[in-house]
Amino acid sequence: MKIHSLSKDDVFHTLVTSETGLSEDEAGRRLSEFGPNKITEVGRRSLLIRFLDQFTHFLAILLWIASAMSFLSEYLHPGEGMLTLGIAIVAVIFINAVFTFIQEYRAEKALEELQKLLPFFVRVLRDGREKEITAGEVVPGDVMILSEGDKVPADSRVIESSGLKVNNAPLTGEAEPLSRSSDPFQGEFMESSNIAFAGTTIVSGSGMAAVFATGMRTEFGRIALLTSAVEPGLSPLQKEIVKATRVVAAIAAGVGIFFFCLGFVIGRNFWDNFIFAIGITVALIPEGMLPTVTLSLAMGSQRMAKRKALIKTLTAVETLGSVSVICTDKTGTLTQNRMAVSRLWVYDRTINTGDLHKEDAPELLITALLCNNARFMEGQYKGDPTETAILKTAREMIGDIENERLAEIPFDPERKRMSTVNRTGGKVFAFSKGSVEGLLPLCSHLLKEGRKTLIDDAVRSKILDSCQSLMDRGLRVLAFAHRDMEDRPGPDLSTLEQDMIFLGLIGLEDPPRPEVPEAIGKCNEAGIKVIMITGDASRTAVAIGREIGLIQSDPVIVEGRRFGEMSDYELRKTLTHKEVIFSRMTPKHKMRVVSILKGEGEVVAVTGDGVNDAPALKKADIGISMGMSGTDVAKEASDMVLLDDNFATIVNAVEEGRTVYENIRKFITYIFASNIPEAVPYLSYILLRIPLPLTIMQILAVDLGTDMLPALALGAERPTQGIMKQPPRRPGERMLNFPLIARAYFFLGPFEAAACMFGFFWLLYQGGWHWGEILQANNILYMQATTACLTGIVITQVANVFACRSSRESVFSIGFFTNRLIFAGIAFELALQFFIVYHPWGNRIFATYPISSSIWLVLIPFAFVLFFAEEARKAVLRYAQPHHAAKSAL
Amino acid sequence: MYRKILAAVNEHLNSEVSARYALKLAAACEAKLFLCFIAEKAQPSAVLDRAEEAMKRIFVEAEKAGVEVEALTESGDPVKRIGELTKKEGIDLVFASTRKADVERRFFTGTVARSLSLRLPCSVALVRVVHAGRIHPKNILVPLKARIDHVEERVYFTARISQAFGANVFLFHAPAPMSKFFHGEVHLTPLQWEEKLPKDISHFMGHMKRYKVIHTGGTVPGRTGKTIALEASAKRHDLIIMGASQRSMFSSIVKGNPVEELLRNSPCDLIIFRPRHENS
Repeated sequence: MKIHSLSKDDVFHTLVTSETGLSEDEAGRRLSEFGPNKITEVGRRSLLIRFLDQFTHFLAILLWIASAMSFLSEYLHPGEGMLTLGIAIVAVIFINAVFTFIQEYRAEKALEELQKLLPFFVRVLRDGREKEITAGEVVPGDVMILSEGDKVPADSRVIESSGLKVNNAPLTGEAEPLSRSSDPFQGEFMESSNIAFAGTTIVSGSGMAAVFATGMRTEFGRIALLTSAVEPGLSPLQKEIVKATRVVAAIAAGVGIFFFCLGFVIGRNFWDNFIFAIGITVALIPEGMLPTVTLSLAMGSQRMAKRKALIKTLTAVETLGSVSVICTDKTGTLTQNRMAVSRLWVYDRTINTGDLHKEDAPELLITALLCNNARFMEGQYKGDPTETAILKTAREMIGDIENERLAEIPFDPERKRMSTVNRTGGKVFAFSKGSVEGLLPLCSHLLKEGRKTLIDDAVRSKILDSCQSLMDRGLRVLAFAHRDMEDRPGPDLSTLEQDMIFLGLIGLEDPPRPEVPEAIGKCNEAGIKVIMITGDASRTAVAIGREIGLIQSDPVIVEGRRFGEMSDYELRKTLTHKEVIFSRMTPKHKMRVVSILKGEGEVVAVTGDGVNDAPALKKADIGISMGMSGTDVAKEASDMVLLDDNFATIVNAVEEGRTVYENIRKFITYIFASNIPEAVPYLSYILLRIPLPLTIMQILAVDLGTDMLPALALGAERPTQGIMKQPPRRPGERMLNFPLIARAYFFLGPFEAAACMFGFFWLLYQGGWHWGEILQANNILYMQATTACLTGIVITQVANVFACRSSRESVFSIGFFTNRLIFAGIAFELALQFFIVYHPWGNRIFATYPISSSIWLVLIPFAFVLFFAEEARKAVLRYAQPHHAAKSAL
Repeated sequence: MYRKILAAVNEHLNSEVSARYALKLAAACEAKLFLCFIAEKAQPSAVLDRAEEAMKRIFVEAEKAGVEVEALTESGDPVKRIGELTKKEGIDLVFASTRKADVERRFFTGTVARSLSLRLPCSVALVRVVHAGRIHPKNILVPLKARIDHVEERVYFTARISQAFGANVFLFHAPAPMSKFFHGEVHLTPLQWEEKLPKDISHFMGHMKRYKVIHTGGTVPGRTGKTIALEASAKRHDLIIMGASQRSMFSSIVKGNPVEELLRNSPCDLIIFRPRHENS
């Protein structure tokens, strides 16, 4: 039992209030007990804490330790450049933290938008007198005075109504005005006709209502709680990055510790070992990876914006590529939301609109014209798309009719019909339109060739068959009926809809968007399941589903009523079917579907446009709102806004997301390959007892300097052919898998290591160095040798960026010049290297010294060797695995 | 199990609502209901009148429902006087409402509700009333932790409340998410979580069957307090019944306290239940 089922007196008894409202004292007491009537954020960590998190994750902690050790060693053993290193490492931590925070930060404006739907002031009765108070002061037991235009501040039970009508759109998505009365209601709480919910609006009439829930305990507060407190968790890419950084950090720390100990065994002193340990750790950690990933996602989001998908959270770019299920609305997303009357049925024939004459169904057309709230104004039809389509057809056939509307029972989703009473031609008629199942039981007669005929079982069956036949064509079907009235009706309209004459059916078509069938085909090929969630009837949904290729066999259809009765277990089982359609659903059901799919490990995208879609949009991995028809609350709660409301745009975004993921793997291969020539100099230093060939600052010059733009250019590679012909990535599939590491560390990396070490020794020997000779850090020959080593890495990375453009296709087959950004990236890389080598500032920061052009010429062949060796590897791969998918070849 | 139930009533609406829970339970257990108001020193007469009126309303409701009822008005320190009454009358269970002040001052720092819960020699149900419109709960959420003591009494209390209102019970477990060092968070499906269900919870479910109460269950990993609030909100539960917190002050500060979180954020009424033997 809930408050809607109580009589007015029991309501007062339960809430311990009266018709004269609360006293000021009691209201104050209740305000202190129940708190202010406000929408607040629940259980979300502050921005500051979320920012601080970026400094305390595993990789950051390792880097903090490394920087602390650097500062300590500078203090104990000054002059080794450890201060610069410490500062550089702290800078890396900050750069990574800021980039990642920007990536994760998302302005939470959904709550702000929700708050806008509540009023600032409200009139209540206090101590028997009317008083205006702020909405925040409303407490349970307050008696509110409601009139047209008011926003309702709290959930309240209507105790007095004078034609009171509310618009419940924020809660139900239905914009039709609904009557409110003070009578007890025995049905569902949410469908109750005596409740005025917070966030809704009074569209006409006036009345009084007793508040029973305030703030976050209202239905509106429930939406706010589910929208603000639901955290979708880490995106697939974020999870992969966590795994990757832990693996890399463990490798780096492990290698560092191992060789630190080895140094002791072979007799190196502590400081040599220490510098080595720090260096090898820095060399193996890809410091530039996180910023590059973020920038790459930002570029991906810009490309998506050009394809009419506005990305609000950067990680959503890649998450789209992992989507395995799309739950989509029908009207406006799969279809054009351009309703048009397609067919009429009058006993016993179906008429195409093109063949329709006004003599075919005059009574039906009059009813369609007058029992209608759409309007023709200033040369345009205005109103609900369904009503507009009906009005247009009727008006074009029979023109305008002079009439006076005497009464109206508005459309009610529970009753599924509306009725009006009109005086026309000196007579009074009641006109009704609605669903066949709602209207037919109210009809005793049928109009057959202009004559009233009693409806028997055979006729009823014929009407139902005709209705189903229209639905099977994907049409939304409405039934029409009328009856003569002797005079205008009294205030009680409960007897209006009885003993009516059934006039016929109108079938409306909402044609699918032309791009949708191809998009659905792409989803099928890409292994993405598409689930339609619609308020339409099952047959209409199935027919549309077949037309767009969503349904190819026997789908499982779940209707809203049945959905409410199903247990989670049953629903989970149902959702495993290949083709599932949810019909007669309301937006409140979406969140449950999304939760169950996510529980099963699916990566879910869901569309929504209403205020009450917000929780589902937040819960899903990808919430997609409608840019044209969506509410501001839905847009703020979503990760992506469809600027054209089109399903095909989602599929384009998925393709872009998959490309982004593939490209991230490409530039990770590129970045990781350079870790080997950064590590080998340190191994040589400790094992071969030679001067250190590459300083830590020079490593950072590569990781955070020369590598960055070429890596980003790889992030802009075009989609690989067939990217939408593979199933979604398996949840357990790792971004940083063994083939990728093997290619970077054991194939590409060694070529680069050979180049840099060759450059180092070449220059030393040219300068007269002999094995075993110790060189000081400020020795020009030594500085030139490390510069040559660094140059070797940069030159081979130029070849490597081309090599990483594909994992198995020849660069020549994908087009050498198809990604112009690669050349811009290389130009930047070389310009930066020239600055490091030849500019005094570059020399000072990175401890380099200018080298002659002959050194560059000596190193260039290594780049060619790397490039053609990689081409040969790809050729072997293509020969050995001719049908293997491009992606898995990594 | 419960023959005598006492409901503490005062001038506040929430005490009246919580007394109604006590009344319903008394009817389901065929227990005698004691309504008691303890007037504190120097309380204005208007306050006393309001409390008296509330007592009268509940008294009449109890009589209508055929529950044996006795009303007691005393004065003094509420905790002390209720303690004495409990001993004198042999009360099995005390219902008291929590106040907003309890939540704001941190639940564990010696409020009246907390004192009652700790000091009374019988079982205590503290009721946090947040929603005046859900008079008879139809869906009750019962969060369960991995280790449950006094299973028998907890099941009895839950089952009787459920029977009193003809409500469905949803047993809910919110474990910490699973993670591995190199894998990060590990996703488990509901079925996999079910296989890992702690023994005490299975034990609890087994007992529930004996009372023939319609119940289902589910597991959602996450931060306990927030996950329970979200579950209650998403599935429109009307009432939450959960055990009193056993976390220390230090643990509550470091790890958070689900009971405190729910006292602040519960979307529906909340009963925090402490079975009697915990006090002995």
